[in-house]
Formats: sequence, structure tokens, C-alpha cells
Amino acid sequence: MYRLLFLQFLRSRAVLASMVLIIALGAISIGIGHQFLSQKKAAIDQVEQYQKSHIERNVLLHKDDLGLLMYYVQFAFINNPSHLAGLSIGQSDVNTNVQRITIKNLEGQRYDTDLVNPMNLQSGNLDLSFVLIYLFPLLIIVFTFNILSEETETGTWRLVSVQTPSKLRYLLTKLSIRVVLVYTVLGILLMVAKMVLSIPFDIKFVLVTLLSFLYVAFWFALGFFVVNFKKSSGFNALALLSIWLVLLILLPAGINAYLTNKYPVPEALSTMISQRDGYHTKWDTDKKETLQKFYAHYPQFQEFGYPTEGFNWTWYYAMQQMGDDDSVKDTKALQLKMGERERVSKQVATFLPNMHMQLAFNELAGTSLDKHLRFLDATGNFHEELRLFFYPKIFNGETGDRVDWGQFEPKFFKKQAGEYGMAILVPMLLACILMIILSAVVAKKL
Amino acid sequence: MKRINIGLLGRYFLKNIMQTKVIYVLLVIFMLLTAYSAVSGINNYTEQNTIRQEHQQKARQSWEANPDKHPHRMAHFGSFAFRKKQPLSMFDYGIESFTGNAVFLEAHRQNSVNFSDAGFSTGALRFGELSMAMLLQLVLPLILFFLGFSAIASERENGTLKILLSQGANWKEILLGKSLGLFVLALLFFIPIMLVTFFFLFFGEGLIDPSDSWQRFLLLLVGYVLFLLIICVISIVVSTTAHSAKNALLTLLGIWLLMVVLVPKTSQAIGNAVYPTPSKLSFQSAVERDVIKKGDSHDPNDPYFNTLRDSVLAVHGVDSVTQLPFNYGGFVMREGERTSANLYRKHHDSLLQIYEKQNNISRYTGILNPFVAIKTVSMAFTGTDFKGYIDFQAQAETYRYQLAQEMNELQMEYISTKKISGSEGKKHVVGHEHWEEFPDFEHRMQPLQSSLSEASLGIFSLVVWVFLSFLGLVYLSKKAKAI
Repeated sequence: MYRLLFLQFLRSRAVLASMVLIIALGAISIGIGHQFLSQKKAAIDQVEQYQKSHIERNVLLHKDDLGLLMYYVQFAFINNPSHLAGLSIGQSDVNTNVQRITIKNLEGQRYDTDLVNPMNLQSGNLDLSFVLIYLFPLLIIVFTFNILSEETETGTWRLVSVQTPSKLRYLLTKLSIRVVLVYTVLGILLMVAKMVLSIPFDIKFVLVTLLSFLYVAFWFALGFFVVNFKKSSGFNALALLSIWLVLLILLPAGINAYLTNKYPVPEALSTMISQRDGYHTKWDTDKKETLQKFYAHYPQFQEFGYPTEGFNWTWYYAMQQMGDDDSVKDTKALQLKMGERERVSKQVATFLPNMHMQLAFNELAGTSLDKHLRFLDATGNFHEELRLFFYPKIFNGETGDRVDWGQFEPKFFKKQAGEYGMAILVPMLLACILMIILSAVVAKKL
Repeated sequence: MKRINIGLLGRYFLKNIMQTKVIYVLLVIFMLLTAYSAVSGINNYTEQNTIRQEHQQKARQSWEANPDKHPHRMAHFGSFAFRKKQPLSMFDYGIESFTGNAVFLEAHRQNSVNFSDAGFSTGALRFGELSMAMLLQLVLPLILFFLGFSAIASERENGTLKILLSQGANWKEILLGKSLGLFVLALLFFIPIMLVTFFFLFFGEGLIDPSDSWQRFLLLLVGYVLFLLIICVISIVVSTTAHSAKNALLTLLGIWLLMVVLVPKTSQAIGNAVYPTPSKLSFQSAVERDVIKKGDSHDPNDPYFNTLRDSVLAVHGVDSVTQLPFNYGGFVMREGERTSANLYRKHHDSLLQIYEKQNNISRYTGILNPFVAIKTVSMAFTGTDFKGYIDFQAQAETYRYQLAQEMNELQMEYISTKKISGSEGKKHVVGHEHWEEFPDFEHRMQPLQSSLSEASLGIFSLVVWVFLSFLGLVYLSKKAKAI
């Protein structure tokens, strides 16, 4: 019987068409992920090559004046995307992964964005996570909406009721065919993605796989739940599509509107202004005062004294430092606000499987807002190291050719490893169990 | 064909639907969604613009508070351009959440426009934005498909269609009547949204260029009416051609999925894949390379600027730059700014062309896809489209250039000809009254003309679709079968 049911299922044109469509879109999405990774890689390679020639050219031009040289030289700090990022591009198209910064004031540099076409951002990436989160539910809807009603509508349901010992078992058999088919497609897509994007087989990939399997189970349970109310095919299709619309578009969009209105980020704009004023107004104020503030921050440089005659680099970089020091309050407030946004949306996502799925994927792939904030923090540390290395050399009046430039290759952001546990699965697992219980209750009345 | 019959049939269709409970449930839900998106749209508009205006003023205050100083210091002190949200963005967010909000404007450098809402987003934004435009483009068509799928198919299934036809109604009247009946239903959902927008434009405070907004509002209204007409006729056409009501519904749902979700997303992704965006470094280093090739004004031994100096000296008949009637340092910087800004513009234009090519693929699908057509039309008339953003960038760059050049002019005029380089100290300065004289940046809405040209393809597509769908209706009226 299983074989016959299977053949009957595959005879439907809509089923075949939607299978082909999802496999095609899955393949395209993996291709897009691959292109994303290789574009990022090419950009990183380019940065690595460029840095050497960039430094050489500037050293040649300004080797006698290290202060002036450091005005120009940029150092790259790179957030190398993980292979999983090709599967879930997340926020890494909005947020840059390459910082090229000078030792001048940090706040004026670290928020600079990449070149992006806002229309692409609005449309979003067609990556595998999109196919999984948005399109798999649709496939499941197409597969389940008439699993019962097609029998009542063609008049075979009575026959089935008489001939099978358990109607529920019959329906579950039909359902299992669809489940097996969808899991096969999912398995194939994940395998292909793993190979094409060369994703290592580690805990993160396992978690991504488990999340996907649970998510598919959730939608099957939901579909089965609706179908068991024994409504017509048309009603079921409409009901399921409406649920899809509410869960995947309206609710998240509503939550986003709430978050945007509840947590606006004026702090970002304030930081921009206060870092400018912090630095630029020092050109007109007492030099000694600026230097005093600078030494209060870095007592170790006090030995360089208070040169106040004309222009000198100690004073200049002290002024630059003031840009950062004077905007500290706004920067802190900005970080707090962002953290708050992240926290609230994670909380909300716990109750919304698709949103949890997206955020968890981004988290695992290192393409979340949280990861980007850490990258920005690390950029701050990177910048501080550069400053501490160059400040004494500049203040001592050393020349550019005495610095060992070979050590300044682009640096990579080290992500903290580990810390991902099964906890990330819990909201998904609960949603799944809840849905299965609900559909079991309804199915009992069959 | 009698007009009175069309009206009668339309009213009959309406009456039937108004007798069901479903329509009231749908109306209530839709009104709640409308209210929520209206409130958050208006809040967002007011809040963001207040924030941006405050910061624009704050930045201006510290600009004006500068004491007498060397103008080149002011060129680096710089200014900010904050992007104002368009009034109609309360109706359609367009791409405003994905574009940067603020850019620092200073001499020699074109900075990136930073701090987009998308950059602050945790990822929730990617599920879409709840705006009134989204309700009209996504949710309302689904509702209309639901209300219209059975219009003909059910009557055929239960045999009332035969009776109607035998009583003297003809097919044309039935099809037109039902389409118009459905359209009237559509207006029930549509009018509140337009009213909210109308009242916002009427009573909202501090709107930029309100007269323009009214014309935009009317154009939007027309665009959406055309769109809703198309949707209504499509529902009736599918309902007539389908074998059963169930099939009609499934076909309509399939159309919705394809046209609303799959095609737009895929076409934009294809555009992005076919015309890849260059990396920021390639872009910047290409500009840098060109500038160096032309002449680096910061390099004292640059051949281009040496030649320039010699020719300036020759024209004025003097043999050293300190004898010139103006400050030569300012002159060199003015020339440098001019060449580097031109080269930057050249590269930036070709970058924009790449973006346009990426966008065009999805834009052109609008010819076949009325859902994309209305989206482009809506974004163009609300001023929240790609053009609107490019326009802001261009305004900011123009202001930046003027600021830098104004400071260079001041340097040429007021700074001693002996002081060629360096801008530190209180000796070679220009009076602070000049800072106030230079006006603040103000983001102006792009002219309606440019929005019109941007929307033209979409409007054309909508008009053709209306025309074709009615033509299809007439054609169908000769072919359709009652059984």
C-alpha cells in the first residue's frame, strides 16, 4: 500500500512542480551563498595585498615624518566570514567585515559602511536559510493541505473509513510519505550546501541541521493540525497560507515596527557629533589643557611634556584622542541601546519559531548583530594596540623607516569558540512538541 | 449590454458577501493592521525626523560657535548631512530603513552615509516591514482573491449561473458586474488607509514641501486604484476559467506566491549575482589611483601642481607664490578639491550604474508582474525609492564640495599670501562671522518630475494591465460556459 500511496502522491502535478521549484531555488540559494563567500574572500585577499603596497608607498613619501605618515596609513582588521555564513548571510551584508583604520580618532572611522545597494538589502538575500525558513513551510502546505479533504472531495474517504482498521493510521501513513520526501529534499540541500560551501562538520553544522529538521517537523504538525478539522481543500489552503503570512511576515514585521519605535538610536548620531567636536574644538583651546587630559588618560606618556609652541604631533594626536574620550558617554549609550535591542528581540523570538530559526542561524553562522557588535569592540582593541605602539615612536620623533612594517599584516578577528549548546534548540523543540500535542488532540476526534 | 444590469449584478454580488460573517472578520483584522501600521508609521516618521533635525541643529550650533580660525580648519571641522524622512514614508517605508541616515562632510573626503536602521537591526527587519503600503500590496490582494475566487465558479457549481443567463443577463454583464462588485469591496479596505494618509498630510506638522506631497498622494491613489482593479479582474477571470471553485482558489494562491514572494526576490538576487558590486577597497583605490595620476595636491613635488604653479606665476608676472595677489595654498587646495571631486563623481556614477543594472532586472519584471509595478510606483511617489536616496547623496556631496570650496576661497582672499601651508594657531585666521554666512545643509525632496520618470515604467505597466485584463474579460465573455 505504501508504494501505491507514494505513486499516487507523485502523480500530482502540483507536487512535482513544487518539488522541482524548491530544489531549483535551493540550488540557486547555495550558489548565491557560494558567490557571497567568494566575493568576501576576494575582497579580503585584495585587502591583504593592498596593505603592503599602501604602507610602502606612504613610507616612501613621508618617511621623515612619522606623525604625518600615521595620519595616512590604514591598517586592516578583518572579520573573516565562516563557511556557514554562506548558508545564512544574515546581517553580514549590511555590516562591513573589513575595517581599515588609522590611529586617528576611532569613533569617526569604525562605523563606516561597505558599498551596498540598498535595493538588494531591502529585497534580502536568497540564501539557504531563506529557502528553509520561508519556502519549506510553503512546500509543506502544498503537501498537506488536501491530505484528508482530497479523499472526502473525491468520495474515497468513506471507502477508506470502511476498509482500514484505523483512519488515523491511514492518514499518518500518507503524511509519512510526505515527511520522508521533504526530509530527503532537506537532507540533500544541506549535504550539497555542506560540500559546495565546504562547511566543516562541527557542532554548529549539527545544530543547524537539527534546527532545520525540527522546523520542518513543526510545520508538518501545524499542517496536520489544520487538516484534521475536516474542512474543504480550499479552506485548508487558505487557512495555512494565512498562518504562513501571519507567522512569517506580519508578526515579525509588527515586532520590528515595535522595536524600531520603542528603541530608536539617536545615540549613534550623537556619537558622530561629539567625536567631531571633541577633536576639532581642541584646535582653538589651550594646548596644555589638552595635553593634561591626554596624560590623565595615558600617564605613561607624561615624559613627553608640554610642547606648546606651534604645531607638534604630540598635541595633534592628543587632540585626536580627545575625539574618542569626549564621545565615550555617547558610545557607551549606543552600545547599551544595541544590546537592549538584541536582548528584546531574542526574547520575542523564543515564542516565534521562524524568528528564532533566523536569529539562531545567524548566531551560529556568525552573521548576527551581536557578532558584529563584538567585532566593533575588537576593532576598538585593535586600534588601541596600534596607538600604544605608535604614540611613543611619534612623540620621540622617530622616523618612518625605523619601524618594522613587516609585522603589520592585516589582522583577523578571533571569534570566541565553543559556547554553543543544545540550549539553542530548546525553543524550537518546545514549539514542535506543543504543535504535535495539539494535532494529536484534534486527530483523536477523527 | 445594459449598464443597469451591470450595476444590479454588482450589487447582488456585494450583498451576498456582506451577508457572510467572514467579511466582517476580515475587515476588523485589516482595520487593526491598518491602525497599527499607521501609528507606527507616523511615530517613526515624527520621532526619526525630530531626532535628525535636533542633531542637524546641534551640529550647526557647534559649527557656528567656532572662533576666528584658519578656513582650512573649518573645512575639516566639516558638517553633517542628515537624511530627512519623506512625509509619505509613513505610508510606504520603501528603502529608507536600509539606507544610511547621516554622513560627515569634510574637505578632500567623501565619507560613507552611515547608521541605517538595518545596521541596528537584529535581523527582524528582514522579515519585512509592516506599512500601509505593504498591507495594500501583499495582504489586500490575498483577501480579494479569497473573496473573489468563487464569484463565478460557485454559481456554476450550484447551477445559479444558468438561471442568471436564462433570465436575460449576458456574460459581459455578469463578468463586469462581479468585477465591479469586488472592486467596491476592495475600496472598503482601501479607503481607510487613504483617509489616514490624507489626514496625516493635512494635519501632520513640519512636513517638507506639502504641496508636492498632495500631488504625490493623488498619483499614489490613482496607482493603487489601477492595481486593485487589476487584482479584482484577475480574480473574476480565474474564477471563470477554473474547473471548480477549489481550483480557482488554488490557482489564485499560486499566482500570489509566485508574483509576491518568489519572482521579486529571485529577480533581485539574479541582478545582484549577474552584476556584482565591486569591493569598497577596489572602488576607493581606483579613485585614489586616478587622483594620484592626475596630481596629488598634498605632495609638494607633484609635477601636475608644479606646472600649474609655474603657469599661475607666469600669468601674474611674478616669480614666487608669495607675491601672488591671493593665498596660493588656498588656490592649490581649490584645484585639488575640484579634480578629486570630479574623479570621485566619475567613479561613483559608474558604481551607481552597476546598482541600476542590478535593480533593473527586478524592475523590468514589473512589465509582467503588476505586484512589482505597484511597488515601484509606490516607492517612487512616496520618495522612498532608490532615486530618492541617490538624490540625497548627491545633495550631500554638492554641499560638501561647496563647503570645501567656500573655505578655500576664504583662504585665498583673507589669509596672508606669505602663509602657504599649515593652519594652526591664532595668527592667520578668518573672522568667525563667515561661518554663519555659509548656510546649513537642508535635505530637499527630489522633484516630482524625477519621481514621475522613475515610476513611468510601472504606471505604463499598470495601465496596460488594466486594459488587457478588461480585454480578457470581454474575450472571456464570448467563450465562457455556464456548466
